[in-house]
Amino acid sequence: MLNEKKVRVMTRLALSEKKHGKENFNISKYYKSDYIRYSLLKTVLSVTIGYALILGMLALYHAEYLIANAVKLDYNEIGLYVLGIYLALLLVYSGITVVIALVRYARASRFEKKYGNVLGRLCKLYEDEAEAKQEGLGK
Amino acid sequence: MMLLLEIKEKIKEIYYRNKPYVDPVWKFGMALAVFMVINLQLGYDERLTSFPVVLVLSLLAAFTGPGALVFLAGALAIAQVFSASMLLAVVVAIVFLLMYCLVLRFTPRFSYVIVLTPILFVLKLPYCVPLLLGTISAPSAILPMSCGIITYYMFLAIQAASNSTFGVSIEDALNIYKIVVGSVFSNKEMLVCLLAFAAALLITYIIRRQSFNHAFEIGIIAGAIVLVLGFLMGSMVFSVGEILPVAIGTLISALLAIVIWFFRMGLDYTAVERVQFEDDDYYYYVKAVPKISVTVPEKNVKRINHPKKPGRVSEQEFDED
Repeated sequence: MLNEKKVRVMTRLALSEKKHGKENFNISKYYKSDYIRYSLLKTVLSVTIGYALILGMLALYHAEYLIANAVKLDYNEIGLYVLGIYLALLLVYSGITVVIALVRYARASRFEKKYGNVLGRLCKLYEDEAEAKQEGLGK
Repeated sequence: MMLLLEIKEKIKEIYYRNKPYVDPVWKFGMALAVFMVINLQLGYDERLTSFPVVLVLSLLAAFTGPGALVFLAGALAIAQVFSASMLLAVVVAIVFLLMYCLVLRFTPRFSYVIVLTPILFVLKLPYCVPLLLGTISAPSAILPMSCGIITYYMFLAIQAASNSTFGVSIEDALNIYKIVVGSVFSNKEMLVCLLAFAAALLITYIIRRQSFNHAFEIGIIAGAIVLVLGFLMGSMVFSVGEILPVAIGTLISALLAIVIWFFRMGLDYTAVERVQFEDDDYYYYVKAVPKISVTVPEKNVKRINHPKKPGRVSEQEFDED
């Protein structure tokens, strides 16, 4: 015999899992600090790759000048300049990443809480069903 | 207005009923348009321009997520440029990678904007991008929109460079690279476009967030005015572009944006969902259908008994007399 209430609750769980489950469960499996650190790590990696690509493109664009003045160039100054921009870029991106990570984590926590509530309701339905079965057997 | 609302509800109802079929068809049409425009702009390789290849790519995009369309469009563009110049193909790939690393990773929801903006540029309707994004998204959408604009101008520069003849030596390859990169980053028209689009998106977003009546429509109109003013100022300062085509394009784009927004308004993204799960006794295959409130036109029948007008005699009365 189908338990309509149970089907309704299970459908609600399956729907929310299908719509938002994957992303939110992926986030909420981490501790908050771990998730922020993980996001920061990914950001540092992508900013480093992006910056290296920009530098490579710039170097290629000015290749003639760089080759012609290879001996005269002040590499210390250029190095400091490049490093300064890299650090500034990293700082900005890290700030944005922390804000985004905090917002996403809060959203995932809210989702998990709601999901847990509905799951609790389903457990209660299972318990009621088991009790009814026991009573039926007793009679 | 009532008629429009009824039409909207009917369209929504038809969409909800046929979602499993409508979605792939709509995605297929969109992908077909995207790939055809890419081939039109950068059709250097005849094999990739052939219809069967476009058809297969479109079918692939129709049954996968929006990320796949962006990836396939990028891959097709790189492959087409590769036929013209290997170095330029590497540059295009690097620019796409750069966009992913520094922009798309943070706004993955708007990755499709990078593909759609160049397409709308080709269709002469790029102005609806900031107006629509202003109504449906946040200011962070400026970044993917800017990437889309840069992509379009990069393709234009590649087109221009490929028209001139170059040799195959490293020096020639470097020359092409310098010409393309130089013409993209010294392009005043692109700069004006970036600034005007960003300002229009911001204004549309700020106004549509206000609580007064018709905030969305006013936001779109204000965004359109900012766009025209932006291009006007740009043409005065940098003497680039003509203002009349921009004004006409913006007017059409604003109307289009209002129509799209109207049909989007009230859509809560609830559609027919199919889920499957199991418990100890059964497997469940559930089709969840949202309750839709379709506005049924009210028909009021008003009975009016005309009082007899004095001085007039009906045929029957005439006969009786």
